[in-house]
Amino acid sequence: MLNALLVEPAVGTQRLPLPAPDLAAAPDVKIAARNLDFFYGENQALFANSLNIYANRVTAIIGPSGCGKSTHLRAYNRIYGLYRNQRASGEILLDGENILAPGLDLLDLRRRVGMIFQRPTPFPLSILENVTYGLKLYYRLRPSELMERVERALRQAALWDEVKDKLDQPGMSLSGGQQQRLCIARAIAVEPEVLLLDEPTSAIDPIATARIEELVDTLKASFTLVIVTHNMQQAARVSDYTAFFYQGKIVEFGTTREIFTNPRLQKTEDYITGRFG
Amino acid sequence: MRRRNVAARRLVDLAMRLAAGGAAAAGILALAWILATVVARGSSAFSWDFFTRLPTPPGVAGGGLANAMLGTLLLTGLAALVSIPIGLMAGVYLAEFGRESRFAAAVRMATNILMGVPSIISGVFVYTMLVATLGHFSGYAGAVALALIMLPVLVRTTEDMLLLVPGALREAGLALGTPRWRVTRDIVLRGARKGLLTGVLLAVARVSGETAPLLFTSLNSPYWPGRLAQPTANLTVTIFSYAMSPFRDWQAQAWGAAMLITLGVLAASLCARLLVRGK
Repeated sequence: MLNALLVEPAVGTQRLPLPAPDLAAAPDVKIAARNLDFFYGENQALFANSLNIYANRVTAIIGPSGCGKSTHLRAYNRIYGLYRNQRASGEILLDGENILAPGLDLLDLRRRVGMIFQRPTPFPLSILENVTYGLKLYYRLRPSELMERVERALRQAALWDEVKDKLDQPGMSLSGGQQQRLCIARAIAVEPEVLLLDEPTSAIDPIATARIEELVDTLKASFTLVIVTHNMQQAARVSDYTAFFYQGKIVEFGTTREIFTNPRLQKTEDYITGRFG
Repeated sequence: MRRRNVAARRLVDLAMRLAAGGAAAAGILALAWILATVVARGSSAFSWDFFTRLPTPPGVAGGGLANAMLGTLLLTGLAALVSIPIGLMAGVYLAEFGRESRFAAAVRMATNILMGVPSIISGVFVYTMLVATLGHFSGYAGAVALALIMLPVLVRTTEDMLLLVPGALREAGLALGTPRWRVTRDIVLRGARKGLLTGVLLAVARVSGETAPLLFTSLNSPYWPGRLAQPTANLTVTIFSYAMSPFRDWQAQAWGAAMLITLGVLAASLCARLLVRGK
């Protein structure tokens, strides 16, 4: 019922009302951005973004450099709040609750919405401590439970076999691809509901990229994923839905199949076929 | 299009290289000269007595500077004890919390000015505050003067070192739902710990060679530094008075003390360098 309410408004911007894709089969809406504007000081970077993120699906955000992909994603866990001059207006509904509302418990929001960054960001701690860091923030666990959850997170991140014998070594000692999977393990260890991936493979070699893409596919059973990517093939391979951003606006949104095989707008087609970007 | 003269360019290149190389050599030469002189004239003063005995009047053999060595360690240690926590926390404030705020800008400016204050001014300032008012010289006043000199160095290096920690690491910490203070303590400070230790070592090394501020505050003493509320023996003021004295044996001991301090500062700097390389 909540689902129906949230899907009602046309997906996309006011100027380009688009029919929501394949509504009959659409799963629950996990996150709904409504008229999201974003400002860097005086500069407006996002204009009336409205977007549905469906639960247990992978949504890709694509578009040329500087179009606001990452900015949009960074509003979902309010990480932009670290910087004084950045602000967002409009609404972002997480399970129907507006996370942009003042007084929201940020720590709780970030437990529910995890994030993976462009460059791997292992903490200057051991591999084990990296994974337990978030866990220890939220839970008081007995050592055996803790190790159980560490192993589960590392297995989910497809890293367990590579690190199980060297958990006490520094996280920084791993390769770039392993570091990124360690960050994914760290993020999923606290069992978030949503995982935001901000160009997670742009600093990583192709083989490691393939592993992370496989991982994304398995993770959607447990999490809702949003991935920002520069890589068209990646978006086509891993995502169920795709939003095309251009100059701070959501130009087109649909199932990935529709966007890549039969885009409604010339602009989208031009970008996807590599005519600009 | 006219081609430019390649031979002339080569000549200019050579001249610039020689000039730059010469300038570098001049700097190293000066350091080498100082080190060589200090070691050559100071090493003869090193003896068991030198490190274990109290000073003796001129002409009386067997005197040492053990009290001044202990005094310098006490004064520098006390100054570091006062300065390091304040300096580190102020640096953390500037890098992590104050950032672009007006207050932070004011603190930064004040720190820069404090860093440029000649050390003798710090000495005179503490003299008027803690010596003239209390009526006597004291080791505590000396430690305060040294702390005052150490503080701005610590604040700035702390801020610089923390700013070297990538912003993505802070974001990653926050994105996990970590409160800001824990991100600072567990991630940022930990990530910068080698740089911070280096900054502390360099700051301590810097003040351990200060003379002027101690001249006005802790002065000197021929006795063991028993109570820091009294004038306290230290190596630098001892060098100052022994080197100015007309007595051969005192002058020799001044060279010995100079060598000891130089080696100490050198060791601290080398430790700092090794730490940075260990990164």
